[in-house]
Parts: sequence; C-alpha cells; structure tokens
Amino acid sequence: MVTVRLDNVVKTFGKVVAVDHVTLTINHGEFFSFLGPSGCGKTTTLRVIAGLEWCDSGRIFFDDQDVTDLPPYKRNTGMVFQNYALWPHMTVFDNIAYGLKIRKLPKDEIRRRVKEVLELVKLSGMENRYPTQLSGGQQQRVALARALVVEPRVLLLDEPLSNLDAKLRIEMREEIKKIQKKLGITTIYVTHDQEEAMVISDRIAVLNQGKVMQVGTPRELYRRPRNLFVATFLGRYTIFRGKVSEVDPSQVVTVKTGSLVIKGMPPAPDIKVREGDEVVIIIRPHSFKLIPPAKPHNVIEGIIDWVSYIGPYFEIRVKASGVDFLLNVDPETPVRIGERIKAYVSVEETMVFPISATKDMAYMQELK
Amino acid sequence: MPRFSSSLRGMKREFDSLTTTQLIFVLFILIFFLLIPVFSILYKAFIFQGHLSIQQFEQTFSNPDMIKYPPNLQFFKIMHRYRFEVLPNGSRILVPLTTLVIGAEGPDFGYIFNSIFVSTCVMIFASIIGTIAAFIMARYNFPGKNVFRVLLFIPLLATPFVNAYVIGKVLGEGGLLNYVLRHVLHAPFTVVISGLPAVILIQTLSFFPIVYMNVLSSIINIDPSLEEQAENLGAHGFKLFRTITFPLSLPGLAAGATLVFVFSMEDLGAPIGLAGAFGDGLHNKLMSFYVYTQFQQAFSLEQVSPSAYVVALIMLMIAVVAFMIIKKYVSLRQYAMLAKGGRWSPRVRKLGPLGILAVYAFMLPLVVVSCFPQIGVVVLALTNWATSGAVPTSFTLEYMQALVTKPDVVTAIRNSVTYAGLAILITIILGTSAAYIVIRRKIPGRDIIDVMTTIPIVIPGIIVAVGYLIFFGSVFFKTFMDPFINPGALLVFTYTVRRSPFLTRSVVAGLQQTHVSLEEAAMNLGASRVKTFFSIVIPLISANVIGGAILSFVYMMNEVSTSLLLGAHNPAQGPITFLMSQVIYSTGTVGAVSIAAALGVLLMVLQITAISLSNYILKQRVAFLGV
Repeated sequence: MVTVRLDNVVKTFGKVVAVDHVTLTINHGEFFSFLGPSGCGKTTTLRVIAGLEWCDSGRIFFDDQDVTDLPPYKRNTGMVFQNYALWPHMTVFDNIAYGLKIRKLPKDEIRRRVKEVLELVKLSGMENRYPTQLSGGQQQRVALARALVVEPRVLLLDEPLSNLDAKLRIEMREEIKKIQKKLGITTIYVTHDQEEAMVISDRIAVLNQGKVMQVGTPRELYRRPRNLFVATFLGRYTIFRGKVSEVDPSQVVTVKTGSLVIKGMPPAPDIKVREGDEVVIIIRPHSFKLIPPAKPHNVIEGIIDWVSYIGPYFEIRVKASGVDFLLNVDPETPVRIGERIKAYVSVEETMVFPISATKDMAYMQELK
Repeated sequence: MPRFSSSLRGMKREFDSLTTTQLIFVLFILIFFLLIPVFSILYKAFIFQGHLSIQQFEQTFSNPDMIKYPPNLQFFKIMHRYRFEVLPNGSRILVPLTTLVIGAEGPDFGYIFNSIFVSTCVMIFASIIGTIAAFIMARYNFPGKNVFRVLLFIPLLATPFVNAYVIGKVLGEGGLLNYVLRHVLHAPFTVVISGLPAVILIQTLSFFPIVYMNVLSSIINIDPSLEEQAENLGAHGFKLFRTITFPLSLPGLAAGATLVFVFSMEDLGAPIGLAGAFGDGLHNKLMSFYVYTQFQQAFSLEQVSPSAYVVALIMLMIAVVAFMIIKKYVSLRQYAMLAKGGRWSPRVRKLGPLGILAVYAFMLPLVVVSCFPQIGVVVLALTNWATSGAVPTSFTLEYMQALVTKPDVVTAIRNSVTYAGLAILITIILGTSAAYIVIRRKIPGRDIIDVMTTIPIVIPGIIVAVGYLIFFGSVFFKTFMDPFINPGALLVFTYTVRRSPFLTRSVVAGLQQTHVSLEEAAMNLGASRVKTFFSIVIPLISANVIGGAILSFVYMMNEVSTSLLLGAHNPAQGPITFLMSQVIYSTGTVGAVSIAAALGVLLMVLQITAISLSNYILKQRVAFLGV
C-alpha cells in the first residue's frame, strides 16, 4: 500500500493549462476520486500519475519515492482504461498474464495468479476467449484483472464504467468497491458522474479548469461545499442573488432579495460574510418541507408552475417573489400546476456564498 | 526558462532507445538516398564552371530544340502515294493510296513544352473520362457492373513499353486499324497516328483509372445525408450533381488529376514503346526521354549536356508543386467526410433501358479500347503477331519458355527479384519506423519526415536516377557505390525510396485505426517501449505491414525510370524493365519484342496476384494510388 502525493503539479498542452498547480495527498488504501466536468483535467492528472504524460513542473511521490522522472513501465501502477485497451490479438489469459510475463515470473506462478484474479473478478473459465468474444461488462472485468494481477502499488481507473449501460454500471461500481476493500489497494478513480463518485469514494477531489476546487468526503462536499462551483456541481439546487442586511454573532445571515427575506449560513465557518455584501443563496430541493420544521426556518409562498413525477418524489417549480424555486415533495402529496403552495427551509440548510471575487461573478454569468 | 528546461526534459524522454534508433535509420536513408541526390541536381543546374550562374538556363531556353518558337502546329497531313497490291492471281499492281498522317510532323513545341502539352492534355482527357466513369459506377446499377469494375482496373496493370508498342502496332501503317479500314471497311484511305497525339492517346488510356479511383472513393465517402438534404430542398438530377456531388468529389478529382499530370510527365514507357513501333520521332521529343538519353549514353557525368540538368530541375519543380496541390486537397477531402452519422446506405439507382443503353454506349468502347494494350501484350507473348503483320496467324509458347531458358532473360528476372527483395526488407524497417514516429512520437520535425516519406510518389524516377548519377557518381567515384560501375547496389535504394510510400501509408492507416491506449496499457504493466513495440504494435499492424509490403514489392518489380537509367551502365545488372526497354527499342533480334511481351505477362500476373493478396489481407479495397 502506498500514499500518493502530488506537489504543485502543472501540465500544459500548448496554451491550455490542463493541470494547474495541483497539490494532493491520497492516503494508504484509500478509494479516491477525481470528479469534474469534461476538460477539467481529471484524466490528465491520472495520466501524469501513471507516467503516460510528463508534467511540466511539480513532483509526484509514491510514499517517499520521487517517481516524477520514472517512465510509466517503472512505476508499477495498474491502470484500467476507459476503452479497456484489451489487446485483440491475445486471449483473456494472455492479456492478463502479460504484466507477469514482463516481470519474468515462472510459468506455474503466472497460471496460478491469473486463475486467482479471474476468480476475483468472476470470470473463471474464460481464459481462452478473445476480447471480441466478450460482453462489455466482461471486457471491463478482464481489464480490471489485468491491472490487479501485477499487484500494483496504485490502481488507476479512468472512467471505467462510462461504456456500460446504466444497470451494469451500478452493479460494477459496487463490485469494484468490494474488490478494492478486499485488497486494500490505494485506488484513484476518474469520473464525471457525481453520483458514481459519491457512492464509490472515500474521498473526492472536485476539479475545474485544472484546479482542485475542494477535497473531502462525499458528505462534506455535499453538505459543506467550500465554493460556488462545488455547490452547484454536486446535486440539484435553487440559486438566487441578494444583499446581506444583517449578520448576527452566530453567523446567521439575513439576506434581502426583492420582497423576499431569507436567513441562512455560510456552509463553512471560515467563509465570512459582512453586512452589505452581494451574496448568492443555494438551497437543495429536498431541504424544503411542507410542514414547518422544529428548527428556525424561512417560508416561501408561491404558485406551482411545473410538476414532474420522478418516482420517489415529485419535482416541482415554484415562482415566489420573482425567484424560481426547485422543490422535492412527497409523491403522496397532491400538487397541481397553478396551485398555491407554502414551503419551509431551515436556516442551516440555506447556504450563503459571498460573491466578492470577479471569478465568482464570471461564474454567476455562466449559471444564468 | 523553467518552460524551456521542462521541454528539454520532455525531449529527453521522447528519445528512448527505440525512437532514437528508428529516427537515425529513417533520417539516414531519407537524407542519404533521397534528399542529397535530389538536391545535387540543383547544384549541377546552377553551378557553371565552378561558380553560381544561370548561364545553363539561358542556353537551354534559347535552344530551339528545347523551346520551339514559333511552334509547329501542323497536327495532321494528307499524303497521296502509290503502293504495290498483290492480286489473287499473283500479279502486283500499283494502287493510289491516300494516308491521313496524324502527329508525325507536328505539333512540336520543343522538348519542354511538348511535355507540358502532353501532360496537360492527358490530365484533361483522363479527368473527363475518369470522372464520368466514377460517377456511373458510384451511382448506378446496371447489368454487368461487376465486370466493368474489374475491366476499369486492367489499364493500371503496368506492362512498360509493350503496351505502347501494341498501340503503335495498331495505329501504324500496316497495323490493325488500317487492316480493318482497308480490308474490312474497304475505305479508300489509311490513317497513321504517331508523335505527341499517340503519346496522349496511350497515356490517357493507361492513366484515366487513377482519376477514376480517386473520384470514386471521394463520391463513395460523401455522407449520403448531404445529398438527401439537397433533394429534400428540391434539387435533383444534373442540378444535384453540379451543386452537391461534384463539388464534394472535387478533392478526389484534384488529387487524381495532379497525379496523372506528374505520371504522364515522367513516363518513359510511351515514348520508348512508340519509338520501338515507329522509330524515333516526335513521340520521343519529351523531357523525360531527353534526360533519359542524355544520361543513358553517358559513361561519365562530363559527357552529359548541361541542359539535361536544367530539364531535370524543371521536372522536379513541377513535381513539388504537384505534391503541394495534392496535400492541400487531401486534407480538404477529410472535410467532405466530416459530417457523419445517420444511415450510411449507398445511394445507388437502378437504371431504365434507355439509361442502360447510354451507360453501355460510354463504358463499352472505353473498356474495349483501354484494355486493348494489355490484351495485345498477352497476344504478342503467345503468338507470332510481332512478325506476322496486322493480325497474328499462329499460337506459340516459345516466348513464355524463354522466361526460364534464355540466359539474359533469366538474369534480368533474378536481378529484379534480388533488388526488390533486398529493397523490401529495408522498406519494411523504414516504412514502419517512419509511420510510428510520425503518428506516435512527439518529435519536432516529424512533419518533415511525413513529407519526405510521401513525396517520392510524385518525384519522377528520372530525377531520382539523375540525382544518384550525380551524387554517387562523383562522391563514390570508382567504388562499390559508383552507379557507372555497380548500378545494382544503388537500384536497391532507388526502389526503397521510390516505393516505400505504399508501405508507409498502409502502416500509417493501421496505426491510426489502433488506439494508443493499447500501447499505454502495456507500458503501464511494465513493458518498455521496445518491448511494447514488438509485442503489441507489430502484431496489431502486421496486416498493414504485409499488405503494404506486397504492393511495394510489385511496384519495385515494374519500376521503370531508375531501372533504365542506372541499369544502362552495367547491362549485366539490369532488371526486367531494363531488358524490356532494350529489346523494344532496338528490336534487332527476331522475336525480341515477343519476349518483352512475355515479361510483360509475367509482371501482370505478379500484379494481379499481389493486389488480390494484399486486398485479402487488408480486408479492404486499397486506395491504389492515393497519397
């Protein structure tokens, strides 16, 4: 098991900065994900760790060993590619045994280990098939087995599930997680699917434009986002702007927007908001309740102008004081377009972000 | 500064042992056996008596043989003569005879403009015929379409010199055409076609399939939805063709037409073959033939007229311009194919009876006439046609047997196989290495390597040969590498340089279809780049290597220009095509032409076998002469 440490890693392609001063530590045996929109630099970061791309500056460490200048074939990482990269001219056995043959292991040993790893990924008996004779899910397992069989120091997974159908994707992600826990191997996983990242990871790094926006457990990221990007990238939300009219000592902020007055809190204690600041407020759709909660709360009241049935809940849009609110309500509750509705949201679940930096302003433009 | 040092570090990483070895090998072959020889022509053309001068250009351009002013524009002439006719009772009488002589006296613009005139005409005629044929084959279904598909391909089978000889034999005074005119149609006149019109005729017939294949592949690759959209908006018939189909197939036409222009300019087969049938005349007053005779007769560089270097340089310039045009249009072609998606069903129509009649009216004469030289070569090899007059009278296997019994023929075959065999080994390493560097490695200047491995397709072989004579003839004077003593060793390299593009392009295509992650996966599992190259890359592209190698090998076997120019300096080392040119041009010994025809049949058989084999291996129709 290995700790992977990235220290100020930069990688540019021409004028595009794909990885922008990334500093991260991935712990022993951790399941760690890079999450972000396409083009955010997550795959490039993974490839830099694998040695398939050379970083322009910065260092990469596996434990205390500096691997920055090691070629990919000397790093002993096990990578699963997005397209699996199974060699079409080799059988399943030969594909998996390749890394062991490179390591010049005795034949019996190779046969034994390939057999073991095939059992692990539930593909016993498929040794003599060719990759083209396998289903997508099976190919994925072979790719995983091929990466695992060499007992790599780090397992690298580059969007491994993106080519599978929705049902298989859910099965496989649980299986990958189980195998990882069983082996206790340090794993780095790249995905653009926030739900997948939340389900599978111990910790996640959210990336945007080559920069790390926040690192944390799935719960931290969802409940305590440090910035607007993380707050809006994970999950659905209602967003609107306002001006701070009052800040009390317990950090409860009163925001006025038009006729609406909302009390809320910054999601982290070190995010400071002062009176008179321009802010944005973000509320998750499931934070709204139709019955007043025990905690101090805000009230919104308006006309329902959109209803969609999702299954476990209704998703409805409510126009109130000129803001378009997104709410989840219980499927048993009768809701109809055009009806008036009253909803409550507790002060702690109302996230307030200052928009001081010009960057945030630009981002707000994008959101609109 | 840190940027610079990091890019320097990156460079160091790119140059691992495999890349360095491949790069050194590729650069060595390309620089030593292509660039320096070709550039030495520049040196010879501009250096006069030891200093820089354009005097040689002035001399050349003021020579009326080179540029004839005013040009002779007499395309034809009617001659009234008498000739003996043998009556059935055995008595001979003199009968008046009117002959329409085309091309023998003119046109004549001098060597330089004769070549340009011929190439331009061939390009225009080949483009018209090739485009119409491609459109018919791409868009219509009619009975016998598959037969036509094969027949349109036959003119591409190279039977150097002999095909032109056959045409000469048909168009000559006592040829098949006049036999038909006088004895079948009882026409009161005869026709003789020689000179530039004969060259244009022969080259159009043998080169139009190049346009045909390029335009065909362009049309087939047009996204059908583009035409469907135009139809949806109301365009149909000729309007649809003129506004959508034709503009989108223009890149294929441009590439094909340019190739035809260059191939026509460098062709030696037509002038030598016609000289064999008619004797010397205007049909060999062409740049290619001029350079050929200058260097073929010379025993050393001093005996070559300076004008030969100037003419060679002009040909080189035209070739380079042509290459740039092709490069531009080939990238345009990708543009036409950019829009993808949707149903990819070929837009093929069934024709009504009138349509079928129209198609046959065009296609039948075309294939009959254009396949005639190849058929004629077979007839020439298997009968006594060479000596029997207008029509053959008896069948014989004597000439085919000569392929294995006649010592000089056997030697020529052995030489060709040896040179092509050695050259193909070098080509495999060269082509695979160059393709891998160009597609997979991030080395500055790889674009230059890409150009250098592709451009030999358009560089006339005569230019390469002249370059070798200048460079190796002076620097390696009286050594193993002196082309005036030991041309065989150098032929191995001219074959390599001239024919490697077929293999390189094939491997490039293979690498483009193979995802780079297959190699990254191997390196991730601990395989070094060398190990990855041999255990992953080579097995994955082996079909492309073998397919490309077969094509290259065949084109080496029927390579003409350098074989002739270099082979001439030591006939014992001459390859097949050299021997063919000798027997056709001299026609001294009885039956010699028929032996050349037998060699032509051998080359045709080789080509058919190789092309079917490589199509089978590559599992696709190879873009025969695409760049």
